[in-house]
Amino acid sequence: MYHSSKGILRKNRQVVEAVKGISFDVEFGELFGLVGPNGAGKTTTIKMLTTLLTPTSGAAKVLGFDIVKDVVEIRRRIGIIFGGERGLYYRVSGRENLRYFADLYSVPLSKRERRLSELLETVGLSDRADDKVESYSRGMKQRLHIAKGLVNDPELIFMDEPTIGLDPQAARDTRAMIKQLVQKGKTILLTTHYMFEADELCHRIGVISNGEIAALDTPEGLKRFVKDITVIEVEAFGVVDADIASLRRQPDVKAVSANLEGERQTVRIQTPKGSEFIPEVTKVLSGAKIFDIRTKEPTLEDAYLRLVT
Amino acid sequence: MTRLQTFWGSFRMSLLHFFADPQWIIPNIIAPFVFTIVALILFRDVSGSVALYAVLGGGMMGMWGNTLYGSGFALAFDRWNGTIEYVLGTPSRLVWIIAGRSASNAVLGLANALAIVLVVAIGYGAFFAIADPILFLLALVLTLTSLSALGVVFCSAFLLSRSAQVMTNGLEMPIYVASGSMFPVALLPFWSHPLSFSLGPTWGIDAMRYAADATYVGLGFGYWTDVLVVLASAIVYLTIGFWLFIVVENKVRRDASLTEY
Repeated sequence: MYHSSKGILRKNRQVVEAVKGISFDVEFGELFGLVGPNGAGKTTTIKMLTTLLTPTSGAAKVLGFDIVKDVVEIRRRIGIIFGGERGLYYRVSGRENLRYFADLYSVPLSKRERRLSELLETVGLSDRADDKVESYSRGMKQRLHIAKGLVNDPELIFMDEPTIGLDPQAARDTRAMIKQLVQKGKTILLTTHYMFEADELCHRIGVISNGEIAALDTPEGLKRFVKDITVIEVEAFGVVDADIASLRRQPDVKAVSANLEGERQTVRIQTPKGSEFIPEVTKVLSGAKIFDIRTKEPTLEDAYLRLVT
Repeated sequence: MTRLQTFWGSFRMSLLHFFADPQWIIPNIIAPFVFTIVALILFRDVSGSVALYAVLGGGMMGMWGNTLYGSGFALAFDRWNGTIEYVLGTPSRLVWIIAGRSASNAVLGLANALAIVLVVAIGYGAFFAIADPILFLLALVLTLTSLSALGVVFCSAFLLSRSAQVMTNGLEMPIYVASGSMFPVALLPFWSHPLSFSLGPTWGIDAMRYAADATYVGLGFGYWTDVLVVLASAIVYLTIGFWLFIVVENKVRRDASLTEY
């Protein structure tokens, strides 16, 4: 819960309840995922666990330490990797970025340079280590983010949307690095918007919705939430928001997701009726040009949609 | 060792950024030169105590400007880069990080001040003898320490505000004038004296003038009193800075306002 205010002379104060009593445990060596829509409370949860925010009530322990009382002990043992373009000193080299954070984490001077070289080698930046970060590609910056998050050799790593904005190859490289970290015995708490990524990487997933845990299970366990339904996937052009709203109103529809951008729109409809429901879909979308329509097995994304909508 | 490593790492990083970013050159290098030269022209004299006032004034402007802008931007800069959460998320105390950055800015100011001495001596023939170089150096180091400590105090306040750079612009000249860098504090109106005497640099400058000019009268308390006051001011500023940082750090963690800028 935090306070927000608007206005200069007449301040309009608001109390925002970002997270409402969520509870979960993460095992050592586990890759635990937190997924949920924007504003669901994922980042707030991570910021509280990394001691960047103080919760107004409740308690949490990280590696056995209290997140309010044992701030320094926690910070020594964790790594933080946020996604996105920012979070690096652009005007200095990648090596200088790492060196600075090594100093802030008190990496012994006798080991510091070797540690930096190893990290740069691990993330494939040895050749560009002494170039300014502003000359790096987005993927290289993300790899440097990962190296920075590992500079203190943390037991537990928090990753907040580490593949956001990356091209497919860079995202794949990042996922491969995350898998390697788990193989090395690191514990990871990861948030992501990409369900296929959560499915591929996570041992267990917590679905956060409106600041609460809506479900917590393995990817396979979460998929069982939607074992009673079939997904009808439509590729079309000319689908409008009103069509989606109309589909959602159908009594046999459990959930609808749509990507209406571009010339090849996709609409996914969850229904227990299976292929029998296709004529109803084509009727609702009669104003659009349908290229393809087919039934599919539900995925983690479908389970997620069912849980958060 | 941990604190020293944090301090030194932050000192070093701040220097690297200064040289990597040319925007600082005008306010922190060129402006003090111009100010010194204008002062020499206005004083219509380049000898003895006049030169001392001009050179120390320009030097102080460089040192104070660097400290103030450095501390003001020390965290605003991290907010812009999106590094503030990473920096705050380390086990290092923020106050040592800022102390390192603030000290780096004060040292840059010192280099600037030395350059001013050389340029006015060579270019304008403005020479002045320093009666006691060791005492002068001691006063200079303590003044720098006091300036850095003052920078730490300002920086903690700037962490709360999104308008750090606006405040730095507003604070540069008042402190510069109130500390009597370019002309004696006695020339300022009486009501401004409490502010002048509450500033460590006021006493530091006075001590430097005592050490440089054996006939100097100044504030009238003598060299060693001035030096003790500068030292005490640095301790008081650092104590306030440490306390403020703890309070402010807790506040931004509670209010979720750390990344707002």
